[in-house]
Amino acid sequence: MFLGFHSLLRQVGLKVGLTEWLALLKALDVDQVEPSLASFYNVARALVCRDEGDFDRFDLAFAAYFKEAELPDKLKKDLLEWLEGPIKRPALDPEEIARLKSMSLEELRKLFEERLREQTERHDGGDYWIGTGGRSPFGQGGAHPSGMRVGEGASGRGSAIAGARARRFRNYRADRVLDTRALAVAIRRLRRLERKSRRLELDIDETIRRTANNAGDLEVVERPERRNQARVILMMDTGGSMEPHTKLVESFFSALKKAGGLRDVENYFFHNCVYNVVYSDIARYDEVEFDKLVKSVPPNTHLFMVGDAWMGPYELFASHGSIEMATSDSVPGIERLERLAKAYEKRVWLNPIPDNYWHAETIAAVGEQFPMFPMTVDGIVSAVSWLLGKGDKRKYGPTPMWGSAVARSR
Amino acid sequence: MTEQTKSPLHRWQGTESYLADDTLKAAVNVAVALQRPLLVKGEPGTGKTLLAHAIAEGLGMTLRTWHVKSTTRAQDGLYVYDAVARLHDSRFEDKDVRDISQYIKLGPLGEAFDDKTRSVLLIDEIDKADIEFPNDLLHELDAMRFRISETGRQVEATERPIVVITSNAEKELPDAFLRRCVFHYIDFPGEQLLGDICKVHHPEVDDKLLAAALRRFLRLRAVKDMRKRPSTSELIDWLAALRLAGIDPEKLEGLPFQGVLVKDESDAGRVHDDAQKETRRNRFKGWS
Repeated sequence: MFLGFHSLLRQVGLKVGLTEWLALLKALDVDQVEPSLASFYNVARALVCRDEGDFDRFDLAFAAYFKEAELPDKLKKDLLEWLEGPIKRPALDPEEIARLKSMSLEELRKLFEERLREQTERHDGGDYWIGTGGRSPFGQGGAHPSGMRVGEGASGRGSAIAGARARRFRNYRADRVLDTRALAVAIRRLRRLERKSRRLELDIDETIRRTANNAGDLEVVERPERRNQARVILMMDTGGSMEPHTKLVESFFSALKKAGGLRDVENYFFHNCVYNVVYSDIARYDEVEFDKLVKSVPPNTHLFMVGDAWMGPYELFASHGSIEMATSDSVPGIERLERLAKAYEKRVWLNPIPDNYWHAETIAAVGEQFPMFPMTVDGIVSAVSWLLGKGDKRKYGPTPMWGSAVARSR
Repeated sequence: MTEQTKSPLHRWQGTESYLADDTLKAAVNVAVALQRPLLVKGEPGTGKTLLAHAIAEGLGMTLRTWHVKSTTRAQDGLYVYDAVARLHDSRFEDKDVRDISQYIKLGPLGEAFDDKTRSVLLIDEIDKADIEFPNDLLHELDAMRFRISETGRQVEATERPIVVITSNAEKELPDAFLRRCVFHYIDFPGEQLLGDICKVHHPEVDDKLLAAALRRFLRLRAVKDMRKRPSTSELIDWLAALRLAGIDPEKLEGLPFQGVLVKDESDAGRVHDDAQKETRRNRFKGWS
């Protein structure tokens, strides 16, 4: 029943339900799995994983569970013998050898499958391995496009386990690589479709109803089209400490622009912290007054702050704290952030620094004003869920011990 | 033939023109045996849509295709009631509009259910539609039946169609939907399989040209930060162009017919930079 494997899969984070497991058992029942570990791997993976991002974790669990149970010893011995020199086995006479040698790969494959079918029917799941009849040198030079060699290297190196161990799918983990499309998916969830547009569309149901009421006299009814009313304001930190995270931020930025359908995406830049002005174009120092940002915020507006919140404490807490000569703000940065937080009910802060560093003084202080999420695909998805009122913002953060120490020291 | 259909191991093995690896074969056969939909994801150009054609061909069944657009609703797949035509006819034509079934047209899913024989249904690019679209289909995919409310007719599948669903992963698919599917990700083929696929489409290709083209192609795919990496179908087109023009296999460095492989202008710049780096590297090769 492989229940141990099932619980291991759940432990690594794959949400394998009872339905999938019963399906897997059924697949075994209806002979969909050949007597090989690789075949079981293929079938199990197809039923258990829902996304290529799951493959890596599946591989981990598979390698861990089956490392001990590679092949029963008797089979291993048989297999090794057979692989060593199938053509030299006394059971095959010279004519047969010549015949085999003269067959093409395609013919050999067909022959092999016939054998497999025969054996499965005759020895219902017993202890005969593939090709024990020793008729076709399957496993030697049988190039497997997926790189998984069944039977070859029974010592463990070439088996399904080694394939799983190789972790070929490392790149697909959702919490490791920031992929633009996945972000656009998360951002599209911010849609708020309402009928406030000026463009009209035909309201079929109402038209039919009115026309029927008029005993067939056609009356056309129109209504406003549904347009997305969600707006996004994106404020990004372009301070020096954000340099290493440029690519990350750019991916997110382009994802927002690409997500399309958002009614409005405004973006501003700031340097380390928000002061009396922010910039719509920081290279050219195009300024936007802070007060404009907090005055009359339209409904359905989501505020995304992107930054590491990492700065010298005076930059955040002191008056005239900006390190830029050109900026002179009597209001401390933290107060500016508080005002921003009050004006935007739907706000999140995305931090490219991993959350175990969030006990740092300035980050913790910012985190008290803005729900903070790490800047990974998972983090952004959580942020969007939280914005939609469906998430838990306490999912991320340094261990409470650190956080409270910082809070107490202030 | 009869022996094959009776045996429980009646398997889909790919076709002559569609080469499948073992993971794909396992996924397809499990989906067919367990009567669950097969969800296929992968890079564009890896043959997701072609897979459904190959499955239909391999199993000898008819194929119905439902190309999903951003405006598609789940209802459209089942049936469409053309109310406007009925309205129009009642007013301007002499037809008898009392028989509603004249105005009911079955969609691809509905037709697949109605079919007395087992068929293959391809739902192409399901992620293009609304975010709730897959969930809307769930009940019908499970029960394999639906009711036409206008006529009261119950359409039920006597033979469960084999449903193949492709997705470009533009949107996350709902969990409830994913749970019911058998999942397969078409990896970009390795060099060996790539060569085999090319040989299927160009049986008479010169081996030297094929090897050189594969090398140049894989190097192109390895260029960093490409917006759109060239895919298998583009490689096949490129080979066709190279053969038609009779290009010398030694002269592939400069990427003749680059436009067949590289479709994005920023990528063209990156490819150019990479080519320059390569010439510089080659210049120093003989030194140490």
